[in-house]
Amino acid sequence: MNAQPEKFQPKFLVPFRASFQRPFSVSGKRRLNRKRLRKASWRTAGVLVPGLLLFSVSPASASHLERHFKVEARPVITLHNPNGTVTVKAWTKPEVMVTASPATDQVDIDAEQSGNRVDIMTRPVSEAIAPGDLRTDFDIRVPQDAELQIHDDSGAVNVNSVLGDTNVETIGAGVDLEDAAGYLTVKTVGGGFQCVRCAGRIEVSSITGNFRLIDLRSYHVRAQTSKGNILFDGEFLPNGMYQLKNYSGVIEVRFSPGDSFDLSATSLKGKVSNEAKLTPPTHHFYQKFGNSLFGSFNTGQAKVELSSFDGTINILKRN
Amino acid sequence: MNTMGCNEFLNQLDAWLEGERQPDARSHVRDCARCRGVAGDLDAIHEAAPLLAVEDADSPERVWIAIRAQLEQEALIAGPSRPAHQASPESSGGWFEGFFGLPRRAALAVVYMALLVAAAFAMGSSGNHGFDENSWMKNTENSTMPLSAHLDSAEQAAVSSFSGSKSLVAASLHQNLAVVDNYISLCEKSVQEQPENELARDFLYQAYQQKADLLGQMAERGDPSQ
Repeated sequence: MNAQPEKFQPKFLVPFRASFQRPFSVSGKRRLNRKRLRKASWRTAGVLVPGLLLFSVSPASASHLERHFKVEARPVITLHNPNGTVTVKAWTKPEVMVTASPATDQVDIDAEQSGNRVDIMTRPVSEAIAPGDLRTDFDIRVPQDAELQIHDDSGAVNVNSVLGDTNVETIGAGVDLEDAAGYLTVKTVGGGFQCVRCAGRIEVSSITGNFRLIDLRSYHVRAQTSKGNILFDGEFLPNGMYQLKNYSGVIEVRFSPGDSFDLSATSLKGKVSNEAKLTPPTHHFYQKFGNSLFGSFNTGQAKVELSSFDGTINILKRN
Repeated sequence: MNTMGCNEFLNQLDAWLEGERQPDARSHVRDCARCRGVAGDLDAIHEAAPLLAVEDADSPERVWIAIRAQLEQEALIAGPSRPAHQASPESSGGWFEGFFGLPRRAALAVVYMALLVAAAFAMGSSGNHGFDENSWMKNTENSTMPLSAHLDSAEQAAVSSFSGSKSLVAASLHQNLAVVDNYISLCEKSVQEQPENELARDFLYQAYQQKADLLGQMAERGDPSQ
């Protein structure tokens, strides 16, 4: 099963194609940046159209890399990419497919398999490279039960229908998970986070990112952002724990009449507004600082803790 | 009905970490946010430490040495304090040895977390003696000043090693560091105004934690030669 580690360089698949983008002067001097084209290994194509005095040389597609790895159940896929959009989708094949599209030839992309683990890494070919030249987009297909570990400083990370544990760390890249499950840990510095129809356990932290947690079915949610908004619009499962925290910004939680939770909501310097009819707590002592709200909604089966330093907390009926 | 108190829970943390989780302790952790936070942090350290060993990143040596010296000075770790040039992370003893065997940046984060947990213990133990504003303030200062000093030291090193970078990522890290610094100031002010306010102190500690983490990321991306 083990494949030999393999480093692959971009192969530029540029079918011959003509378009009409570059003018060709009457003097016949083509405005081609030959050096750039040679450096990028583009195979160029040009067509002189008699009578139109137009010449075109254009790469038909960007560089494109594709690799396939046979894997067993619950493979682990790691990706370290400094800049770019990363899209991961589940499929039914016992195989990992990696498609990479580097923006330039200034990066090497390593992909190697070790047992049931596939490690992918983008690295600069030399030290003096502009950050934008490091950009590489990835489109990755994995089995549904794959475990993901993704590091992507800037760009975006999109994960769809992967049910294994997922860990994503970014600086500025936004993270978007859909139909994910397992233990989901997301950490960004400035990137936003959206989780739609996620299940399992979710832990997310950021400094300036906004969070949107939509249609969740998760029994454990821990979300903290410093200067960002948090929207929670999901189910409160029995015995579930939901902790949402920020320093400033808005925390908004939406509930349905059939939900059941114990609520603790405190904003030290900001406001708390509530549309839930709460039963005051009878068995627990809460210290009250700032603007606080404690109580049970229905039988209080889940635990909801909302806290903010100077932000606003809204507990609203779901429409 | 939960019968266990915070002190009792903290006294049996060893057993908790070894997996002996009594129903009373579980119940207490469920009901007490502070102990839940402590237990969660320790669990995270416990789980993360072996995994972190596979990563490969360094933070500046001098940051490491400074942190170690500070920790020894404050008796948070065993072993005599040595001059910086003699300090050898690999040869340190006691429970800390394992952490120093880790890559620097990973271990840096672990150390900061350990510091925060230690501070939380200090604050936790002071919380059971009734309200005394001076005592609260003193305990808070005792807990936060060393943290603040560590972070200042780490910040100098991280920012200097990162100063050459003009990338968007670098700009983002600097901006976010400023955001966290601002929250630290606000929280410190709030704690000074209301020393007994546990939530304000929680916010303060978490801001410190965020700053430690950010500095770790900056150190990781800084000039490796420094």
